[in-house]
Amino acid sequence: MQCDYCNNKATVFFTQIIDGNSKKSCLCEACATQSGVIDPDGFLLGNIEASANPTSPTNPKDSPFDPPLTGDTTDPATHTPPTLEKSATCPGCGFALDDLKKTGRLGCSQCYQSFHNEIRHNLGGMHKGTSHTGRVPEGMLKAFQQRQHREQLQQEMDEAIQAEDYEKAAALRDQLSQLSEIDPGDNLTLEP
Amino acid sequence: MMRFSTLLKHPADWMTGADADSTVVLTSRIRLARNVTDAPFPGWARKQERIDLLNHLRQKIEQLPEMKDAFSQQLSDLTSVQKQVLVERHLISREQAARGEGSAAVVSRNQKLSVMINEEDHLRLQSIRSGLHLREAYNLIAHVDSQLEKLLPYAFDQELGYLTACPTNVGTGLRASAMLHLPGLVISDHIGQTIHAASKLGLAVRGIFGEGTESLGHLFQISNQSTLGESEDDIINRLERVIHQVRDHERHARTKLVEDDPQMVADKISRAYGLLRHAYVIDSKEALNHLSLIRLGTDMGCFPKETISICDSLLMDIEPAHLQYHVDGKLAPEERDTIRAKIVRSRLQNLPTPDIDSLNNTSPSDPTPPSE
Repeated sequence: MQCDYCNNKATVFFTQIIDGNSKKSCLCEACATQSGVIDPDGFLLGNIEASANPTSPTNPKDSPFDPPLTGDTTDPATHTPPTLEKSATCPGCGFALDDLKKTGRLGCSQCYQSFHNEIRHNLGGMHKGTSHTGRVPEGMLKAFQQRQHREQLQQEMDEAIQAEDYEKAAALRDQLSQLSEIDPGDNLTLEP
Repeated sequence: MMRFSTLLKHPADWMTGADADSTVVLTSRIRLARNVTDAPFPGWARKQERIDLLNHLRQKIEQLPEMKDAFSQQLSDLTSVQKQVLVERHLISREQAARGEGSAAVVSRNQKLSVMINEEDHLRLQSIRSGLHLREAYNLIAHVDSQLEKLLPYAFDQELGYLTACPTNVGTGLRASAMLHLPGLVISDHIGQTIHAASKLGLAVRGIFGEGTESLGHLFQISNQSTLGESEDDIINRLERVIHQVRDHERHARTKLVEDDPQMVADKISRAYGLLRHAYVIDSKEALNHLSLIRLGTDMGCFPKETISICDSLLMDIEPAHLQYHVDGKLAPEERDTIRAKIVRSRLQNLPTPDIDSLNNTSPSDPTPPSE
């Protein structure tokens, strides 16, 4: 992965949550050092939050943070956990993000969802790819497709309600409740 | 259920060099990491949670047809020597040996399949074969895995695959490895290059007991590091390809050593022979390194063929825990060295003096020309 601000290889991945919006940056060592991202004490998150057009606390002119921190916000995971908060814990098992940094291990399978961004950012360095292409447990594939289908209907229904198209929303709701009767689908693990 | 003493009395064929082609590749191993949903990983679970899950999982594992009359033991019911013996036999990991209550090992009667419950992950399925037979080992594990997935709700994510306690295992959860004997590459000083080349291909080269262990007896373990973004087949194929190449390099190095400096080779092998036959105090490292040369000498035709299997059994039987289990008591390091020397002398007492002439006439057994 390339640094967002120069052509070097990105080795530092930085995620912030500002007003519920996640902002991700990929930086090389040099740009990260310059902006103070690497040093948690030197990097004042408050400065960024206070300003609509965030700048680096150390060197506003040359900082890679001069451009607004929009970064890559196309990540499908909208439930981004606040990765910079020290107190971040997994709701499933109470495991803290700090523990992951210390031990390199996770608390439960749900941690993968709770610390989604943090983990994803590190996977590239460990593995050939970032998404699974191997074996899938029998039956799991079908169940996942069903769940995806349900989620899609749910989304369409929400959109219909937004657009005040209640007739369509009602039809979708019926479809959804019918699906839930056939397959409750609650014995699954994580959704992507 | 199989007892500990029975398990120990009958070492698996892969422990004693059964495969005709195990002169360079001693063993192949496949391991899968699996976890179930809605339970914390063993390292984070409370003791009671761990024990409850263990009871549930153990019952399912013991019901597998492959586990008929298996050895099944809670780690907390074993002495530290017994645990260490299982580690030395590669039936459990060092990490599992360090665990107490709420962890168990189930080993099939033929010892080709072992399942560690509540090691780092809820389940670690492992299969070991003699020689280079990764595919065979994988087929057994995949078969067991497909039975278990019907019985247990596996923690699986569509994007990340099988979820594991450590993100380095996520995806396939597959670790494939082979144990290689590479004295030719070590003596000719080409081992560094080989390790470098393997690591450039994303493979790890380690000592015989895995992570963080030094190489003894010219034995090396090569394994995949990446578990995500590649299918099981891709991982195994790549590893197999590299192992074939390393094996060919090793064979080439052995041939070259004999061609270039037969005196040096004869000297090393004969000295190892003299030392092992006549030592009264020998530490583990010295013993392993000299046994390695006897093993090499056997491949070069200096000793009868069955000497390979004598060496491989000895490699295991002279490990510290095996010695202590053997004398049924705790031993100070000096005492171990004395008993070790005694066992080596007695096992090798009928070994004829090395046939050095064979070095000059024949090259090491090389049934196939190096591929590529």
